[in-house]
Amino acid sequence: MNEETKKKINARYEKELNKGERFWPDSIFKDVVVSLGIFILLVLLASFVGVAPEPKADPSDTSYIPRPEWYFLFLFKFLALYGQIPLLGKIEWLATVLIPGIAVGVLTLLPFIEKSPDRHYAKRALSISVMTIMVVGIILLTLMSEIPTVSADGSKLLGLLQAAAGLAIPGVAMIVLFIASFTGRQTNPRFFIWTTGLTVVSMIIISGMVMNLHTPPAVEETEVANTVVDQIFAGQDLYSVHCTECHGDDGSVAVIEGVEGLEGEKITPINSHDVLYTITDSAMYEVIAYGRPNAGMTPFGKAYGGELSRSEIDYIVTYMRYMWDDRFEIPAEALKPLFPPLAEGEVPSYEVHIQPIVKRYCISCHRAGKENNNYLMTSYEEILTTGDNAANNIIAGDENSYLLQVIQEHAIMNPEKPAEELIGVMPPNRALKPNIVDVFIRWIMNGMPQTAIDAAALFTIPTPEATTTP
Amino acid sequence: MWKKVYEWLDERLGLNDMYTNLLDRPEPKGNWWNTLGSASLFLFVLQGLTGIFLTVYYTPSPDHAYDSVQYIMEGVAFGWLIRGIHHWGATLMVIVVFIHLLRVFITASFKFPRELTWLIGIGLFLATLGMGFTGYLLPWNQKAYWATTVGTQIAGSVPFIGEFILKALRGGPDLSALTLQRFFSAHIWIIPAVLAGLIGVHLFLIIKHGESHFPTKED
Repeated sequence: MNEETKKKINARYEKELNKGERFWPDSIFKDVVVSLGIFILLVLLASFVGVAPEPKADPSDTSYIPRPEWYFLFLFKFLALYGQIPLLGKIEWLATVLIPGIAVGVLTLLPFIEKSPDRHYAKRALSISVMTIMVVGIILLTLMSEIPTVSADGSKLLGLLQAAAGLAIPGVAMIVLFIASFTGRQTNPRFFIWTTGLTVVSMIIISGMVMNLHTPPAVEETEVANTVVDQIFAGQDLYSVHCTECHGDDGSVAVIEGVEGLEGEKITPINSHDVLYTITDSAMYEVIAYGRPNAGMTPFGKAYGGELSRSEIDYIVTYMRYMWDDRFEIPAEALKPLFPPLAEGEVPSYEVHIQPIVKRYCISCHRAGKENNNYLMTSYEEILTTGDNAANNIIAGDENSYLLQVIQEHAIMNPEKPAEELIGVMPPNRALKPNIVDVFIRWIMNGMPQTAIDAAALFTIPTPEATTTP
Repeated sequence: MWKKVYEWLDERLGLNDMYTNLLDRPEPKGNWWNTLGSASLFLFVLQGLTGIFLTVYYTPSPDHAYDSVQYIMEGVAFGWLIRGIHHWGATLMVIVVFIHLLRVFITASFKFPRELTWLIGIGLFLATLGMGFTGYLLPWNQKAYWATTVGTQIAGSVPFIGEFILKALRGGPDLSALTLQRFFSAHIWIIPAVLAGLIGVHLFLIIKHGESHFPTKED
């Protein structure tokens, strides 16, 4: 750039300054308005959208689908699409390092690449067109980042369309624009506007098709317990499922009963002072995660082949502390009853009464992969229809339903060999409290309503004693 | 009385000179697109302030990071607000800085005599992304852990020196307490220091050359 052009540019700027405004207060005023707007927007976002809760980091959880930060999603998608290209797609660093490196390099050195002093839009058609296509590409790739390149039924259509919208069309368009601007004498801005416009529109249409064709899979909601009370509840549910079988529902078991392979094993009651006062939270975490192979306790942590994530084990530890450790004061809200007490004549429902009871006392054994005569109890349908004795387990309105018999401490004898137990008493080591047995009796005698509404329809207001009539 | 105080201060600080040189400057006719730079600066200051509050309770160790963030959200008065602003501010800052960059590109404001302002600006943009990248790991939750695993893996795919970069970023072959510690250090000391320095030069250059005008057919 020669001195004359520089002088011209400076003189041009002086002219603009003369018919311009003052930094204070004209520009500052607008700056303050925008900053204030941003601040209000942030307070609103923080108050009404908040920060989505996430479970604690768990390096052993290989099932977690890793995603980068949202502003790198486009690069992630770009990599996935690039990987589809035959041959070239195998050289990963071309896409991860070379192409982004060139992009950042060009952007950085822009003032030395685009050297002409021209500033008006019409004279910079190539730069603006390329940038527009890039920005639209980045936005579309970000929007499509959640959509897989191979759909669930194995069709590669989505991947091809994505590659067309995100790689091929913008790539070809940019090459055309470059060639037009360097070889042909194509300087008419209209050509650039039309090419860019058509490119962008076709990219948007194809991306729109991709997003319409793809039906997002149902998101599995991960429960994150934020408050201590929620953590205690979560821990209690997990404890009921995973620990009750051996340790009992209150952790007091000293000799294991009714568990195959561990029958008669002596263990320390885990609700005892000895355990709670001598074992720290982290040691307790490790016992649950690693198990105690010598004492027959299998590992529960995902890292060691168990089922529990880090957060889940933490919840169990929190539950044990607050429930049994007398140095901890349990929050009043954590002590709510398992199910609302029944009034006279009220009929319990699966949703409100049976489900929490079953979860606490039965699921520990009555779920897939356990010794339970194939009787699973994790859902309403399963409770009514599964099991080797499904026909007799639950019979509406029948006191002799097997389930009612065994929870009232009457074992079911094998009809063919009367000396042999077909089903032992349930739960094997400890009888249910009378009010819980009462819930089951009322539920089965009234035809096992599923929802609270069904149950309410069966509510019979107790008829007053027949003393009123003379 | 106030006049005397002002005069005393003016003699020592040169308040009048500051006013004429910094505030009472002529500018070309601007519009709302010119506010993006100051909005970025505002977000930087806001992130700095909320970030300082967060460090009061935050603990950068894998054992306590998650719980300390949980405590900020549940236990500290208005902790949820401070963290919420910091969280959303980070997202907004990346967007605002990027749109600022686009605006400068479209109006060709990076041309003579503002080439150096552009170079510094790119540095600021990359440092902002660096802030986002390092800050994302700090809550030590699943999303953070795996995003950083992927991010560092991509950095590790550089030919020849990829292995070295990966280990330098993670402080070892895998994500560990060391990774969290150095991301924390980068997030609250190294990158903010770089950002603050570059912002200083950026602002000096803007005051020196003035804001560019919107191009017309003449340019």
